[in-house]
Amino acid sequence: MTRKLHLNALFHPSGEHLAGWRHPDAPADAATNFAYLRALVEKLEAAKFDALFIADLVGVPDSKPAVLERVAVVNDGFEPTTLLAAVSAFTTNIGLIATASSSYSEPYSLARTFASLDHLSKGRAGWNLVTSLNDSEARNYGLDDHPLHGDRYARAEEFHDVVSGLWDSFGDDAFVRDSASGRYFDPAQLRSLNHRGEHFTVAGPLNIPRSPQGRPVIAQAGASEAGRALASRIGEVIFSGARDIHSAKEYYSDLKRRAVELGRSESDLLVFPGLTPIVAPTLAEAEDQFEALESLLHPVVGLGDLEYWLGGVDLTQFDLDGPLPELPVSNKSISTQQGIYQRARERNLSIRDFAREAGRGDSIIVGTASDIADHIEEWFIEGAADGFNVVFPFLPTTLHSFADLVVPELQRRGLFRTEYEGTTLRENLGLTRPERRAAA
Amino acid sequence: MPRPQTLQFGALLYGSGGHIAGWRYPGARPDGQLDFDFYAEVAQTLERGGFNTIFIADVVSIWGHQLDSLHRTARSDFFEPLTLLSALSAVTSRIGLVATATTSYNEPYTIARKFASLDHISSGRAGWNVVTSVVPLEAANFGRVEHYGHTERYERAAEFVDIVTGLWDSYTDDAVIRDKESGIYFRQDGRQKLDHRGTHFRVDGPLNVSRPPQGHPVIFQAGASETGRAFAAKYGEVLFTAPTSIAAAVTYREQLDEALREIGRDPGDVRVWPILSPIIADTDDEAAQISATLGSLIHDDVLRRLVQDNLGDDDLSEADLDAPLPEALTSTNRSQSRRDGILAVARAENLTLRQLAVRFASSNSAVGSATTVADHIQRWFDSGAIDGFNVSFPYLPDQADRFVNEVLPILAERGIFEPATASTLRESLGLPRPAGRVFQS
Repeated sequence: MTRKLHLNALFHPSGEHLAGWRHPDAPADAATNFAYLRALVEKLEAAKFDALFIADLVGVPDSKPAVLERVAVVNDGFEPTTLLAAVSAFTTNIGLIATASSSYSEPYSLARTFASLDHLSKGRAGWNLVTSLNDSEARNYGLDDHPLHGDRYARAEEFHDVVSGLWDSFGDDAFVRDSASGRYFDPAQLRSLNHRGEHFTVAGPLNIPRSPQGRPVIAQAGASEAGRALASRIGEVIFSGARDIHSAKEYYSDLKRRAVELGRSESDLLVFPGLTPIVAPTLAEAEDQFEALESLLHPVVGLGDLEYWLGGVDLTQFDLDGPLPELPVSNKSISTQQGIYQRARERNLSIRDFAREAGRGDSIIVGTASDIADHIEEWFIEGAADGFNVVFPFLPTTLHSFADLVVPELQRRGLFRTEYEGTTLRENLGLTRPERRAAA
Repeated sequence: MPRPQTLQFGALLYGSGGHIAGWRYPGARPDGQLDFDFYAEVAQTLERGGFNTIFIADVVSIWGHQLDSLHRTARSDFFEPLTLLSALSAVTSRIGLVATATTSYNEPYTIARKFASLDHISSGRAGWNVVTSVVPLEAANFGRVEHYGHTERYERAAEFVDIVTGLWDSYTDDAVIRDKESGIYFRQDGRQKLDHRGTHFRVDGPLNVSRPPQGHPVIFQAGASETGRAFAAKYGEVLFTAPTSIAAAVTYREQLDEALREIGRDPGDVRVWPILSPIIADTDDEAAQISATLGSLIHDDVLRRLVQDNLGDDDLSEADLDAPLPEALTSTNRSQSRRDGILAVARAENLTLRQLAVRFASSNSAVGSATTVADHIQRWFDSGAIDGFNVSFPYLPDQADRFVNEVLPILAERGIFEPATASTLRESLGLPRPAGRVFQS
């Protein structure tokens, strides 16, 4: 079977760039405008995207007030599972991947919500398993600080195992619903989980049958050692934060190797680096769009974003025209912090220059459809990616131009589908439907 | 605000129907539980008829713990309410969307967010039925050996609701200015942190979504015990009740109004909707026949568990269905008001277990032609004690179709019903929009 490229759309309706909501073409109320979002998603489905992917935080980060007041994304937006359930009602093929934290959810509730979404969408649900990074999130859930890095991952792993066990509560054909005999389900196919672990005690069974996909697709983005170990064991859609093809290939091969060592097949997990495209019919037009966007980013917001990813430091205590100082290891995303240092060293950027780029997000590419397609093709062929998480910096412009210009180019090159392979997310990703786990 | 002069209706939707054997009834949809298109079809029928809202009940476990009866009922397979109603919001335009969510096994920040999100998605149609969890098995799904005791359950619920409504007030209505020119998304003086430190929860806030279109999604409640009634009076805006007679409904409303005045609430701001299970046919005789058939479709094991589940934890597995109720029944941590009422009636009428069980299965029913059912509804409404009904259709889609096509037009003709037309749930119920609270700083 020829490998086929996969595309997920990652977006907040206000745009992922921190100044995206200010763009002249964006409706100011995009964050909570469902009708607007609906039109965007219909465009994605017409372009045959594999999935819509919604990121999430369970609280507003502790950034400086002067930064927060200028940002849409973390302050205002839909909750992912309710949003994607609503999206399921007007779409038929596109996958629906919601982020949900293993740090501040109960596995029973989460297992139910995603199984319910899988039934509602007839097999299109995916769960992006994250651990929560922010103290401000912890303080919405009864704690003073978020758990330490290692504890977070141990809990996440147990959490996942409980959830997937609950999804297997019933056999696939347990529900016979035979009116004549009055037999609704076969009790022999019901199994209680009776999990007793370090972090959770959950009896089960789940109150919903095994879902159309057997289990919703598991997405994961682990990049640190603990994160890679978890992603290679349980992940099926893996988000890679790699910014260049060398680190992307390293990550890709490492994840596949780890998975194979754990008895999985290479094709059981798909690696998706990020791609933030600003595309236009000519390079000059694309560059103009990019410049216009960057001019909308207030310097204090860029600096605030950099401070956040470095673990909550105040950079104004340093010379902004000097180099980035070495700071303590972050208890947020270790890999992101390290990536920032690496870039700072390689390009000899001052703090101020760095902050200007902060709003761009990962892997921004400015160019024509053919430039973007070249990048995608190279990474796909060279073993750096099975697909891409396409991040739209401002909407609707960048989504429309990607769908209208880049997707047809990828299709012409025979890289991307012209019709959906199936109606479930697993079918479209080429992932096998998991068998129900055998009884312990 | 004054109580409305016309009837309001909510529909307790349960895939294949609310009657425990409804899924088996000829013409019902045995696989309706997880058929979203079927839900959408019924929701659209109710919206067309002018229902104020759809309501989804919930427990956070399978609905019963005895496999012998459970596997003969549609009580182990249901959508999670918030996801179901979010999906239904996209295929409806006016009808309210009320989801049950427990305060016992959720976190307030999560619940505040999800209902705010549903309210934004639906442009102001969300409602939250606040419950505490008492069904066996629920506790064990959340790391507890037993569910919370009666008092603690309600204390936790009160703290939970205070936090949720506080989080909905994180932003003032005009805080999120989204001024592209200046680059200011929200005014800092229009956002506040809750900084809640209580017995059961610590929640700092703020919520990460702008204030819901309705200010607060509408609060539904069904507390019936003494503690439950006090809770309902304090927080509820629409109260689900299950009175056994019109006289009981009148007494309930009088006591409620008094309790509301005592705590400074306007009785006009609270709606009372008893449960109603209509069985409608062309004639009264045919309707009675349907009711009898439904009763006969309940398996003996299910009948036995029906009594058991309604009373508490008593073991009736060996009891003779056609003998009177056993004398020795133990007290439980379940809803006590309900248990006491049931036992009194059963003993007074010397009912057998079978008779009692069939009665449970068809409780709060109105059986007859459309005119008979309309008469029943009018009698209750004329008492002045109720504002509408929470309608549970025994099987679907037939009974919802009949109610909308046959009963509602009669009530409209009599001038006691007007199809709901408002675009938000609050407006359709005639309830005031809550002003944002300002926290102490």
